[in-house]
Amino acid sequence: MASWFARLNGPQTLGNGRGFWLGFVAVLLLLVVLPFFADEYLVNNIGYFFIWVFMAMGLSLLWGYTGILSFGQTAFFGIAGYTYGVITLNYGAAYGLTFAALLLAVALAALVAWIIGYFMFYGGIRDVFVGIVTLSITLVLETFMAQTAGPEWVIGTARLNGFNGMSGMPPLTIPWPGEDEIFLEGRYLFWFLVALVVLLYLALRMLVNSRFGNVMVAIRENPSRVEMLGYDIRRYQLIVFVIGGALAGLSGVLYTTWGTYITPSAMGLTAAALPIVWTAAGGRKDITATLVATVFLVWLSQILAVKGSQYALVLMGLILLVAVMLAPDGFVVTLAKKIAQLKGRNTQPPSNRSETKLAESPPPP
Amino acid sequence: MTAILETKNLSKHFGGLHATNGIDLSIESGELRCLIGPNGAGKSTLFKLILGSYPPSSGEILFNGENITKLLPCRRIEKGISIKFQVPGIFEDLPVAQNLLIALQHRMSKPRSQTELERLMTLLDLQSARTKRAGDLSHGQKQWLEIGMAIALAPSLLLLDEPTAGMSPEETFKTGELVMQLNQQGMTVLVIEHDMAFVRQIAQKVTVLHFGKIFVEGSLQEIVNNEDVARIYLGKV
Amino acid sequence: MTELFAFLYQWGDAFTFLVLSAMGLAIIFGMMGVINLAHGEFIMCGAYVTVLTSRLNLPLPICMLCGALAAGIIGIILERLIIRHLYQRLFDSIVATWAISLIATQGTLIVAGPSIEGIKTPFGSFNMGGYSFSSYRVVLMAIAVVMLIALYLLFMKTRFGVRARATIQNPHMAKALGVDTGRVYSLTFGLGAALAGMAGALYAPTTTTVPTMGSAFIVQSFVTVVVGGANALVGTAPAAGILGVIQSLLASGFGQTTGQIGLLITVILVVRLLPAGLSGVLSRARNG
Repeated sequence: MASWFARLNGPQTLGNGRGFWLGFVAVLLLLVVLPFFADEYLVNNIGYFFIWVFMAMGLSLLWGYTGILSFGQTAFFGIAGYTYGVITLNYGAAYGLTFAALLLAVALAALVAWIIGYFMFYGGIRDVFVGIVTLSITLVLETFMAQTAGPEWVIGTARLNGFNGMSGMPPLTIPWPGEDEIFLEGRYLFWFLVALVVLLYLALRMLVNSRFGNVMVAIRENPSRVEMLGYDIRRYQLIVFVIGGALAGLSGVLYTTWGTYITPSAMGLTAAALPIVWTAAGGRKDITATLVATVFLVWLSQILAVKGSQYALVLMGLILLVAVMLAPDGFVVTLAKKIAQLKGRNTQPPSNRSETKLAESPPPP
Repeated sequence: MTAILETKNLSKHFGGLHATNGIDLSIESGELRCLIGPNGAGKSTLFKLILGSYPPSSGEILFNGENITKLLPCRRIEKGISIKFQVPGIFEDLPVAQNLLIALQHRMSKPRSQTELERLMTLLDLQSARTKRAGDLSHGQKQWLEIGMAIALAPSLLLLDEPTAGMSPEETFKTGELVMQLNQQGMTVLVIEHDMAFVRQIAQKVTVLHFGKIFVEGSLQEIVNNEDVARIYLGKV
Repeated sequence: MTELFAFLYQWGDAFTFLVLSAMGLAIIFGMMGVINLAHGEFIMCGAYVTVLTSRLNLPLPICMLCGALAAGIIGIILERLIIRHLYQRLFDSIVATWAISLIATQGTLIVAGPSIEGIKTPFGSFNMGGYSFSSYRVVLMAIAVVMLIALYLLFMKTRFGVRARATIQNPHMAKALGVDTGRVYSLTFGLGAALAGMAGALYAPTTTTVPTMGSAFIVQSFVTVVVGGANALVGTAPAAGILGVIQSLLASGFGQTTGQIGLLITVILVVRLLPAGLSGVLSRARNG
């Protein structure tokens, strides 16, 4: 138990101390009991914020930790969302099939990421060109899906429906003895999403603080040096790209089940910009900061979208611009560092304070 | 004694420029060889060819008798070659200790890499800087850190590209001591260097490159006394 | 014979579109290394200004020049305010242009609404062997060729061109020799933006003017720039020529989307086989 806990902390994440984890547990407990107090609308809404976290954390892994400029995470989001739609519209929701559809859809997104990633990294596409290729892919996918309005664009019984997108797919279901199935809706869906966020957040923290994570950040800092230490960096980049694709796919499926629809614009230029905004604003080099910023900014967008989504999007653009120009490390990370500095000044000299962050990981007791 | 590294007729052309032109170099196992020559002689190009940063226009590279001409850089490193670049190639944004760990972890388990880390830190005199951001080190310390990363791989052949550039005379001397110590422990070392004081301190055998070819090769004494070598440095040949 | 003409027309049309839409992006990328993700929005700006000025009953060519000029001026302003401060951080400068893109698209949506009434395509059409061809598109082909030549002359024969090329080759040396590199960057960015604006202006009569129209151009321009390589002057035209063949063949056989997918696959293959793009190959051939 203690050694597992030790693996969660390390040089690649902020918030390794007792205080952070106490706060983490407190927030988690609050979320777990929230459905008993709050009304259904609020619970549903917070669930909606969590849907986007996976795609953002994947981008943080790619762009922030490994230095891979992937501008087209929405491609995997869309692929998985459409796949979930096609499978469930064809085979229905019985016997927990929706979970199989979820897994299949995420697996397909990961597979596509593997193929694209293989061609890019083993083909020597680097730096800004990765950004161009990935962004082009998502834009072409959008154009492709937008022209599938005709009746010939049908898979099984599922029409792709062009610009209007697919709708009417069932939400996630759990098979239950004695009953047909339980729909994962309302508070159940909320708990499911909380569990998923926590699980993947912790898993990713372990990943980035592991030896693999050491190589990831090293590739970001100086790829040719990493190569000259004997690492096949293409393999590392490909693995991270596949993880990022799968996470974006997971967001895509959850989004599709949450609103029971998906449209081509989910893969468009505007949609593709949003994960960039969230990760850059929070602090792309830290997974916690990305998570916090994503939830906050999706919430903010939703409030502003009441007047029209364009107002929210202009604000997102401004936030991105200000973040890039004034807080390149991200607002959340900059803030966290300021707080750590203040605390460090009050308690102990700074040289000792960062000691624990440095070891590969504290030795198991 | 067998050759650990051999290049056969190794050439690299960039457009019309012959950066290296038919180099036949042979390094014996256990040697400490210095590679000197005026700017543009092809020294760094030769290193990059040995490492596989780019493919040669023609010729072959043998490492321990095995043809590695077509191998990926990382595969060559795994076979036992290691490099310290000319411009310090460290992970600027990461702490010093983590820089070394990344180099160490590739070939050893976690507990062993921790002991090895301590040994290297002491060897390189970086103990007091272990939590420092590598980018904040002094220039000389950066050079040492990268030498440390290079030797963390326990290579059988160590390539050093101007290891003392920008160092004070004291630092240069210490680096020389370190290189000789490594060589005495059995590591073959090939050094590109401009600083003749450093070359005199460490070299057993010296190869002079000029216009992409081997100009002359011999013991330190022979090279120092060779008037043609003095002349190419003055630009007369 | 007519079939041949029809194919040449289609190819020329694709070539023209690729050249015009990529030129501005290529100049900025070639000279500064920045991928300008707001490229589509400069195109949109050119189209909007053209449409709006044409309502003042100005002659169409004047309106189009206004469109290009407006985009160019906005480009210079944005370079001064934003891009200039990010030269040391290439990736961040690209992300910043994306932010500008987002603000511009959505801001236009707020200010000007979801679409504005466009202008009619001038010159009508001509017939040949049962096919009908748009005369305006033939005019565009000629304009694309003229612009390519003009650009080449600008960079090879004028003082600005010499300074710009010196700045890309070696900014520090250029600065030491008294070139105001900041000014060069600023003008280059402005020129790239103006060329994008020109593309929007020229295509304004053939498309609907909507805030998101830029994204219809952006994939093609990316693809052309990647295939063309870093040297925009040498690479753009041959890249557009080859990609034009691919796109027109696929599009006539299987539809526009297949044409786009074909371009995308080509680009991945090109990067795999010729990492430096066509201009890399061409300059290597020239050096022997």
